[in-house]
Amino acid sequence: MTQVTDAVSQPLVMDTAFWTATAIFVLAYAIIVSEKTHKAIIAVFGAALILIFKILNQHEAFHLEEYGIDWNVIFLLISMMVIINLMRPTGIFEYIAIKSAKLGKGEPFRILVIFAIVTAMLSAFLDNVTTVLLITPVTLLIADALEVDPIPYLISCILASNIGGTATLIGDPPNIMIASKAHLTFMDFIYHLTPVIIVVMVFYILCIRIIWGKKLKTREELKKRIMEMDEREAIKDPIMVKKSLIVLGIVITGFVLHGKLLYQPATVALFGAGLLLLLSKTREPHHILAEVEWPTIFFFVGLFIIVGGVVKVGLIKWLSLQVLDITQGNLFATSMAVMWFSAFASAIVDNIPYVATMNPLIIDMARQLWPHLSGIQLLQHPDLMPVWWSLALGACLGGNGTAIGASANVIVVGLAEKAGRKISFMKFMVYGMPIMIMTVIVSTLCVWLRYYIIRF
Amino acid sequence: MKAKDIMTPIHDYLRPDDTLKKAANLLRTARRGEEKVGVKGLPVLDEEGKIMGILSMRDILKAVYPSYLSITDLGDFTWEGMLESIAKKVADKKVAMVMTRDVMTVREDDSLMKCIDYMIRKNINRLPVVDKTNKAVGMLYERDIFFVIVKAMLEKNIGNKG
Repeated sequence: MTQVTDAVSQPLVMDTAFWTATAIFVLAYAIIVSEKTHKAIIAVFGAALILIFKILNQHEAFHLEEYGIDWNVIFLLISMMVIINLMRPTGIFEYIAIKSAKLGKGEPFRILVIFAIVTAMLSAFLDNVTTVLLITPVTLLIADALEVDPIPYLISCILASNIGGTATLIGDPPNIMIASKAHLTFMDFIYHLTPVIIVVMVFYILCIRIIWGKKLKTREELKKRIMEMDEREAIKDPIMVKKSLIVLGIVITGFVLHGKLLYQPATVALFGAGLLLLLSKTREPHHILAEVEWPTIFFFVGLFIIVGGVVKVGLIKWLSLQVLDITQGNLFATSMAVMWFSAFASAIVDNIPYVATMNPLIIDMARQLWPHLSGIQLLQHPDLMPVWWSLALGACLGGNGTAIGASANVIVVGLAEKAGRKISFMKFMVYGMPIMIMTVIVSTLCVWLRYYIIRF
Repeated sequence: MKAKDIMTPIHDYLRPDDTLKKAANLLRTARRGEEKVGVKGLPVLDEEGKIMGILSMRDILKAVYPSYLSITDLGDFTWEGMLESIAKKVADKKVAMVMTRDVMTVREDDSLMKCIDYMIRKNINRLPVVDKTNKAVGMLYERDIFFVIVKAMLEKNIGNKG
């Protein structure tokens, strides 16, 4: 904690280190946005430069919570990926998807709604990319079977996955990062964000009813194709399904209780990953471990160090002073500004580097406002909490604005193109942008009513 | 023996803008030697006779295979008539969209062992044979080489007996 107080009390010096770190940060972000080189490579190289130029020393980058890699985020991500990699080959997800389609009785619009709800629920517990990778192929199959246009299903899959991911701590990387920085628990997210997302989903379903409700039609004989599918055939390894569900149950219980049991979420997930690896009796963990999204993990590692560099030299503190200057310390204005700015920023740029930068900025802002507080009292100051929730809602829901707003969008658009169904940038935006704005308006109203009018 | 000694000279070939319908029919009726018995793969040539790709029976199978089936294990959830209805839809697709573009070729004077080396190493069943100007002059099919091997084996056995 000594470093923390040092960083606050230090006056801002715009020396060589300041400009070097700022240049690395700005250049790295510019190249990430341009997508000229893979973002993981830029992040790792930028991080290396932060160390080479001695902005941070290796100890600070690897071991300090204030400036370095957030291992809680890293291990939570890796562990959840391992669990999902072990579950995927069992066929459980195909089972759920086919079962959902049958639940819709082959009625195209009913299936659209059920898929939206299932996608949102899966996304709340799995990462969004995994969810859409599982749902999109089934969506295309069902659309082919019913001989309906798959585009509404594909677009809805993207939108629902980004909405659902917002609901929990583990649903979307921004939430994982915010939780770790602000020491928020899984139940905090359930209590504060899940209700907002349920309301958002209700409005979302009303919207898709207006947009696609009357357009999707099929013939009676085609519905039979769906009803004749036997979802049980999807299960390839029933024993592993049981083991997976038990471990998943333990992990979710662990998440629910982690605040009370004083475990970090990463500890819970790591236990789940270790246990399921053990139960799977695999002799060759190579491919399970190799299938972890390593580029994403290294992207995070690099980003944490780059952002740590600009935190240490004072750039983030300077930015937070500018924000305070504009908002005059009015936290209602701040949280509304954070939500709307985050939504539009995330629609254009990756929300992960965005949140990596916003987290320390919000903490610095809190330090200016309450200089005598520290630790949880500072991070979870009652007046600061709505700002965290606004950041999470804006950054996650903003992903729906454009076809490049979130990784899930890019994946689905790619799969659609491969299947001969191109979704152009504009075509997506026609649906995505209004839906994003609708969801942020609903979130704005929820935050405003809950924290500034009713105050509970 | 060299590639040019056993290759099938090019009679039948495809153009990149031919339809799959036409291509599939040509695969079915292409000449092998004196008879029209069909082949499993045909070269796709440009205006100058240079090789642009190969279209094989497997490529036709891939053309009707929905990409979503390969991503997730959904083979159990297909329906009667699915194949035929997709086949009708892709009949007018162009050969260029479906053909294998990355083609290994051999020269007329390359040895047969070099041809086998390519076939085994790259897991391919047919090799276009090109001349010095890279113009396709023939096709070397797996079975063409197989018959050379059979001949050599039988000759050796006869020799031993004698």
